[in-house]
Amino acid sequence: MAKKLMKGCEAIGEAAIQAGCRHFFGYPITPQNEIPEYMSARLPQVGGMFVQAESEVSASNMLYGAAGAGIRCFTSSSSPGISLMQEGISYIAGAELPVVFVNIMRGGPGLGGILPSQSDYFQSTKGGGHGDYRLLCLAPSTVQEAADLVQEAFDLADKYRNPVMILGDGLIGQMMEPVEFKKVINPEDLPEKPWATTGAKGRKPNVINSLYLDPEDLEKHNWKLVKKYEEMAKNEKRWEVFNLDKKADILFVAYGTVARIIKTAIEVLKEKGVNAALFRPITLFPFPGEALEETAAKCKHVFVSELSTGQMIEDVKYHLGKERKVHFYGRVGGMVMTPEELVEETLKIVK
Amino acid sequence: MPTVFVEKDRCKGCTLCVEICPHGVLEMSKEINAKGYFFPFAAKPDECTGCRNCVMVCPDCAIQVEVKGKVSERPKALAEKQVHYCPGCHHGIIHRLVAEAIDSLGIQEKTVGVAPVGCSVLAYDYFNVDMHEASHGRAPAVATGIKRGRPDLIVFSYQGDGDLASIGMAETVHAANRGEKITVIFVNNAIYGMTGGQMAPTTLPGQVATTCPYGRDVNLAGYPIRMSELLKELKTPAYIARVAVYDAKTIVQAKLAIKKAFDYQVKGVCYSFVEVLSTCPTGWGMTPPDASKWVESNMVPYYPLGEFKNPDKGVVKETER
Amino acid sequence: MYQEIVLAGFGGQGVLLIGKLLAYSGMKNGYEVTWLPAYGPEMRGGTCNCTVVISEKPVGSPMSKNPHGLIALNLPSLDKFEDTVRPGGVIVINTSLINRKVKRTDVKVIEVAANELAIECGNAKAGNMVALGAFIEATKIADLEKVKEIVSENFKSKPKLVEVNHKALAKGFEVAKGA
Repeated sequence: MAKKLMKGCEAIGEAAIQAGCRHFFGYPITPQNEIPEYMSARLPQVGGMFVQAESEVSASNMLYGAAGAGIRCFTSSSSPGISLMQEGISYIAGAELPVVFVNIMRGGPGLGGILPSQSDYFQSTKGGGHGDYRLLCLAPSTVQEAADLVQEAFDLADKYRNPVMILGDGLIGQMMEPVEFKKVINPEDLPEKPWATTGAKGRKPNVINSLYLDPEDLEKHNWKLVKKYEEMAKNEKRWEVFNLDKKADILFVAYGTVARIIKTAIEVLKEKGVNAALFRPITLFPFPGEALEETAAKCKHVFVSELSTGQMIEDVKYHLGKERKVHFYGRVGGMVMTPEELVEETLKIVK
Repeated sequence: MPTVFVEKDRCKGCTLCVEICPHGVLEMSKEINAKGYFFPFAAKPDECTGCRNCVMVCPDCAIQVEVKGKVSERPKALAEKQVHYCPGCHHGIIHRLVAEAIDSLGIQEKTVGVAPVGCSVLAYDYFNVDMHEASHGRAPAVATGIKRGRPDLIVFSYQGDGDLASIGMAETVHAANRGEKITVIFVNNAIYGMTGGQMAPTTLPGQVATTCPYGRDVNLAGYPIRMSELLKELKTPAYIARVAVYDAKTIVQAKLAIKKAFDYQVKGVCYSFVEVLSTCPTGWGMTPPDASKWVESNMVPYYPLGEFKNPDKGVVKETER
Repeated sequence: MYQEIVLAGFGGQGVLLIGKLLAYSGMKNGYEVTWLPAYGPEMRGGTCNCTVVISEKPVGSPMSKNPHGLIALNLPSLDKFEDTVRPGGVIVINTSLINRKVKRTDVKVIEVAANELAIECGNAKAGNMVALGAFIEATKIADLEKVKEIVSENFKSKPKLVEVNHKALAKGFEVAKGA
């Protein structure tokens, strides 16, 4: 397929369709309305189903139902809406169902604002709703990567029978970049889901459930989930290392939009004689901690930057240990750092 | 002779005043104001009878009229701040009516308003009373908390159709059913405005919105919800009315209904609910005067105006309305 | 090749569209591009802008603090962005709605009466195209004929607009040449 110039939100919607997804359940919220709008126009053209739910609580439970029936489905929302979806997400994780969620993050807490933010890192990587569970969490940095990761997310969700969260922000959602859709999946070619509620014809009834009244059973279930997360950690960690030859004066650690702003800052720093590198986690859960350790060992300073008051930095510190000083620069509330700010902060550190 | 004053830099050029004037007094200027809008001026000042229809209809409170030395005034319960609404949006008119009701009952100092999420999310800046911002749809629950905690206060919520009839349906129905002594102002413009024109639970059959680009299909989305009719079926006593503000007559009726709704709360009688049919010129893709006409020609037939329930009479039959 | 361009004006003047056309033409020439609109409720009826980056290498920051080029279609836009343009950069202003001179002396300034020239071309709304034509000539960032092709594709369903917009682009191009 030829490259098309697309808004991030539209590319996410099209990627889902190309991945064989035909069902979307959602509710309007800025700054991701282009996704439901795109789906409401596109899905009827490909024989799919778009439902505007009465709320995000309802949308996430519609997904719980559809995924339980073995349907490839997804939704998108933005921070306050994702908070409302946590009920469904917790049940979906407990019942081990494959659903893809997209969070185009905006500033909080509460109603907050509508401009870009990365303040839902904790919510997305540490659980979010109640109970001991994790989402597989992917953070794109370009519109092309957003499209690629959405396509992949559906397969990962199926593989692990686990909800997958695509964590983007308002910049990724609103920005246009050239995109190419690399694979097309026909929904009819998707593998069968023998556990789904498709009608108990010639087999024992299937039950989709997260209730275990016997504590021994619930404990067993929880450890089984942990096994799954360990499996994800073994197979699915993804990251990018940028501009690291052998050694660097400073290593930036950042994800999503911030990482690409840093790439511009790295070019400017080069001109100023500072050799800077970037470590960009693509999976936020599982977090690529070992790769980070290895990379950081080659760099004199470590510098985390986020559109939050400091969330991912906790994972960075956990992996690098108490001995290692980790510098931080965050902008919040919808304010976005410029490459110039990052250069200035870097010069303070390396001097 | 009456005199019309236009505060030109408050004007957003919606032309609703020009349309409503029964004597053709007002015309739009050829020059633009500081915001880049054309504004009205009294082209035929001699024709003015001082009816003040232009004052009532101006969503931006940009017009005042002097009659026999008495100048119309901005309601005290309405803040000075200019509203952010699009040109010609009825929110401004409805804000004014709510503020007038508060003024006329002398309750400004004991009223607390609850603002929603939607176009009127910033309503907390527009009323000169204490305000509480709620999360999407939960205004009746927040209002319940305020009223149960401080029953001496007069508590109202101001909500749009997505907020009240979609995500907040449960809170809306249960607050009404518990008979909370609160006043709910429900602004129904058949669309989600703030987020860019998506389908609302009150979007009319066949009406195009950004999430029903082929028109609302009642087989997939159901029929638009008539909130007033739905709530009147609850056994708990209540005051429930539907009004509109598309012309002088309906604005006067709306003013009376909103005042009555607050009055029932002041007297501690019952829950009160006023649905106001409103416009979204931006989301509907119409000029403000055309949008006002569309309310009359397309919304009123589906959403009939009138009192639906009254604490004295119970459910009002259609023939009595 | 690395260019950051800010395009700004009132909502409804079509700045987002000419930004997209610039991004498209960059993409068709084999460059990496980004197009980023400023978004939010203040966009309705207020001022409006977008940033386009065209680059040989993958684009890092899609935002621009100091653009190489600026198209300002109204006065608030010039007031807001004039000082941000890099020395040696290009500023195209719409003199139909901007009644002052550009103060900067270290940039190349092109003045076009975009609204009047658009009316001459047959459509008052094509002022954005006039400004884009002038910008293309002043910066050589794209080939006029290629941009015309993109306009033809973009307005496929409205053939009447294609002709007017082609005229407006050429008009702006011509005026800038004489400047």
